Amino acid sequence: MNPQSRTIAELDRVIHEPGRLMVVALLFAIDGSDFLYLQHETGMNKGTLSSHLSRLEEAGYVEVVKTYRGKVPQTLLRLTGAGRRAFDHYRRKLKEAL
Amino acid sequence: MDQVGALLDRPKFYYNIDGLGELSGGLMFLGIALLLSLPADSVWHKISWFILLGLTLAIPHGIKAIKTHITYPRTGFVEYRKSDRRRTSVIGGMAGALIPLGLFVAMRHRWEIATLASLAGLILAAAYAYRVARAVRWKWIVACAIALGSIVIGFLPADVLAAMANDSLVTHPLRARLGGTIVVSFIAYGAMLMISGGISLWLYLRNTHPPAQEEQ
Repeated sequence: MNPQSRTIAELDRVIHEPGRLMVVALLFAIDGSDFLYLQHETGMNKGTLSSHLSRLEEAGYVEVVKTYRGKVPQTLLRLTGAGRRAFDHYRRKLKEAL
Repeated sequence: MDQVGALLDRPKFYYNIDGLGELSGGLMFLGIALLLSLPADSVWHKISWFILLGLTLAIPHGIKAIKTHITYPRTGFVEYRKSDRRRTSVIGGMAGALIPLGLFVAMRHRWEIATLASLAGLILAAAYAYRVARAVRWKWIVACAIALGSIVIGFLPADVLAAMANDSLVTHPLRARLGGTIVVSFIAYGAMLMISGGISLWLYLRNTHPPAQEEQ
C-alpha cells in the first residue's frame, strides 16, 4: 500500500461519514449549540441527526450538557476534548491525502 | 477541504442570519449621527453622551431579547467560543480607539478630512464584505453601495459638508467640516445597514417558522 492510500485508510471513519463530518465541523467552531441549530444547518431530519449524534456520543466525541438559559432549561451539544483532537487529526490526515 | 472550511465559517455568519447584527450597527451609526447633529442650544446637549452610553448598553440587551424570542425558537441557539467573543471585543475596542486618534492626527496635520472619511468607509465596506457579504450573495450590493457612498463623500464640496454640522453640537469641539463629514458618513452607513438588516429580518421571518408550526 502506498503512503497516500495508507493515509486515506487511516482516516477516522466515525468523522469521515458526511453527515457526522458536518456536525463535527459545525461544533468545532463554537462552544456548543442546541439540536435545532444543527438540524437547521445540516438540513437533516430529527431521526437521522439523532442517530449521528448517538454515534458521536458513543465514540466520546460529543457530549450532551443540560444547562439553563435564564430560567429556561436547555440541552446543549458540545464537542469533547477528544472530539476536537480527533477532528484536528482528521483534517491534517485529509490534507496529507489530498 | 474547502467545504470543510466553509462549514467552520457557518456559525460566524449565523449571528446575522436574522439581520439583527446589521440593524444594531445601523442604529448605532444613526444614533451617533443624530446626537452629533443636534443644535448646540438643544436641551439634549447636556445629556447627549448619557444617551449614547444608554444606547450602547441597551442595544446588546435588545438584540439578546429579540434573538431569544424570534431566532432561537426558529433556527436554534449557538454558544460562541469565549476566545471569539474576546477577539471581537478587542477588535472593536481597537477600532474605537483608532478613530479618535486618526481624527486627532488628521486635524493636527491638516489632512483632507473627506478623503480620510472615504478611506475609513472603504475599510468598512471591506470588513462588511468579509464578515457579511461572503455568506449572502445579495449583500454584495450593500458592500458596493457602502464603498460607492464612501467615494461620493470624498468628492462632496467642503461647504456642503460644513453646512451639515452648522450650529450643531459638533461645531463646538470640532471643526464644522469634520463634524459634517462624520454626520454625513454615519447617516449614509447607518441607513444602508438598517435597510439591509431590515430586508434580512423580513426574509428571515417569512422563510423560517418554529418547528411546531412547520408540522401543522
